[in-house]
Amino acid sequence: MIEVRDLVYEYPSVRALKGISLHVAPQTITALVGPNGAGKTTLLRCLAALEPPYSGRVTIDGLDTLQAPRAIHARLGYLPDFYGLYDALSVRRVLNYAARARGIAPALVAGAVEKAAGHVGLLDRLEARAGELSRGLRQRLAIAQAIVHEPRVLLLDEPAAGLDPQARRDLSVLLLMLKDAGMTLVVSSHILAELEDYCSEMIIIEAGLIVGGQAIKVRDVERPRYILEVATARSDLREFLAVRAGVDVIEADDYHALITHTKNAAARAKLIRDLLASGFEVSSFGESTKALEDAYFKQVGQGS
Amino acid sequence: MNPEFQRNLWLELTPRRMFLMAVVLALVFFAAALTEGMVSGPGEAARWLYYLIVVVWGTRNAALSVVGEIRDRTWDGQRLSSLGAGAMTWGKLFGSTIYNWFGGAICLAVILVDLLGNRGAAVALIELVYYLAIGVIAQAAALLASLIAAGRRQAHSQFEVFLYQAVGLAAAIAAYLVWSTADPAGSMLARAAPIDFIVWWGLALDARAFLLLSLAIFTAWTLTGCVRQMKLELKMRNGPFVWLGFLLFIGLYVAGFDAWLSGFGALAHLDVVASRLLLAGTTFGALAYLMVFLEPKDRVHYRWLGRAFAKFQFGPALAGLQGWMTAALATLGVGIALLVWLGHTPPDQAAVGAMLGFLSRDMALVVLASMLSRRKSGDIAAIAILFALYILLPAIVKGLNYETSLVFFFPRASDPLWLSPALAWGEAVLAMVLAAGKLALSEEKTRATSA
Repeated sequence: MIEVRDLVYEYPSVRALKGISLHVAPQTITALVGPNGAGKTTLLRCLAALEPPYSGRVTIDGLDTLQAPRAIHARLGYLPDFYGLYDALSVRRVLNYAARARGIAPALVAGAVEKAAGHVGLLDRLEARAGELSRGLRQRLAIAQAIVHEPRVLLLDEPAAGLDPQARRDLSVLLLMLKDAGMTLVVSSHILAELEDYCSEMIIIEAGLIVGGQAIKVRDVERPRYILEVATARSDLREFLAVRAGVDVIEADDYHALITHTKNAAARAKLIRDLLASGFEVSSFGESTKALEDAYFKQVGQGS
Repeated sequence: MNPEFQRNLWLELTPRRMFLMAVVLALVFFAAALTEGMVSGPGEAARWLYYLIVVVWGTRNAALSVVGEIRDRTWDGQRLSSLGAGAMTWGKLFGSTIYNWFGGAICLAVILVDLLGNRGAAVALIELVYYLAIGVIAQAAALLASLIAAGRRQAHSQFEVFLYQAVGLAAAIAAYLVWSTADPAGSMLARAAPIDFIVWWGLALDARAFLLLSLAIFTAWTLTGCVRQMKLELKMRNGPFVWLGFLLFIGLYVAGFDAWLSGFGALAHLDVVASRLLLAGTTFGALAYLMVFLEPKDRVHYRWLGRAFAKFQFGPALAGLQGWMTAALATLGVGIALLVWLGHTPPDQAAVGAMLGFLSRDMALVVLASMLSRRKSGDIAAIAILFALYILLPAIVKGLNYETSLVFFFPRASDPLWLSPALAWGEAVLAMVLAAGKLALSEEKTRATSA
């Protein structure tokens, strides 16, 4: 869906992107992470065909950003890190304008507005003025603006900044729903724990380069990561797990193992039964929630 | 309806604001009618109010139509919309000023009633066209200035908005002053008799028809400029042909006024062809100076341009030339034609050669100043350098009684004749080498810091 080849972007006195190449598969959520000033926002703006590359090539859905920027604009939604809203207009009119401006036929606008507002939980606020909304609700309205035309690609720059925990959870649910509906999402954020909930790929940018050179698969919905802990050390833990059907050992020592395994509950129960039957004193078995963070620090560590 | 226009209608044309405008204007006209004889009547009041509401206030709203979006961080969302450059331009231009046009329409109605009663239907129709055109050209010029600034990524402060508004006001004042020479309703400021004919390309043309048509054509060019700048903001490409077409138009238009040069003593000896070439070349030169300050001196673009020429990619490179570059090239082209035509008058040839040299030097200096500046733009530094070269240093040199040294600073008769153009071109080459060197150094520095 998104292809970037040797992308170089220059500001007058600094080269912000230094030859980035990446591929984003359709219907995935990719995290774009890295320190401040790494080039995340510049990369997103290049993907959005808002900034022309100095050299290299960016294609979205097969279209080149230099050759067909307007066709790309029509295919994507973009939420900048600092966005504005028309505060004097009602939520309905803000979305109505966004829908019309994004090319939705007048007869279909009302339906699109209701749908987008429903996605972000703003149906009961349609007549409220945008300027009267709280920070969290404004964020939702901004996202609704970006998705009102049901884009194929959605680029979000720090979408969870300033949101409370409940709003972040709602955001995660929304992004997963949009992915399931067919969208391809790229999300830039500093907060790795929050990205963990919905991202399947991760791209780490540092000083205008992708650390490790490519996207890292951090999560497989069908085969999540699990952490197993045993109370008594067993040097054969790795060997035992490695020969079980459906188990892939990522890393293991005498007390812990990080594995991937099918999401099937019965298969999981069988694995635990086998472990207990073989004398492993299982003290903990649960889905790993730090895969992305682990991968990040591992990659950054390698890179440095 | 155009969504951008619709959004502006929601924001600007609320029933409360419309009622307020109608009541205030009605009260002013009523007061003017009561005091007619002591001061001007409703017709005159309506003219002043039209200029105030549509031109003065309207240019501010037009200037803010894009700047306000940038300031409120909604511009990126608009740039990603499906609206074309034309739709976005007219949606913004007439949408942001719709409240001004509402008030202006009330004023126009009063003006027309006044003219129909006192001057007849023909004059009323001519004045209607004039008032509409001056409103559009003023607002379009302000929008154009703000769009050019947006391209330079300098558009935010109140002072900058005032500058864009001032561009619109300058366009309106120019249109007003020109039109007032032939205004059938009489000028509001000077009460001189209107002229009936204008001599253009040797033809005596009806002054009102010529000026109204000129105003309409310049309005169309200003709107075209807005659409082209909007295309750039929407990341679409502009081909070079529209700008070249404008240069051709403006060159031919201005060259037609050669008869006016006969009134200038120093130029009265020039024949018709030389006069026309001089007028066209001077206009191109003025445009080159204007555009070099208006357009972004983007060193990344200049590097790209240099790389494209070095790789003999002439198509994209020529299409990527900025407006000031083509205007300067047009000046050089016309200047060379003038040099050839003036073969029998070496002093004139020397003056033209020196002018071309100093123009080239100044273009290179403006670019060099932008390369040297740590800030976004080196325009202020460039203006300071040009002020020093044309005003300050010559004044000092003159004060020291070294008047012969003035040939270093501007075109001036010299002995030998070739000295003035030779010095001008020497300075031009030096400035060009310095600018190109600085550009190459900045590229190396960027590469080094990126490695």
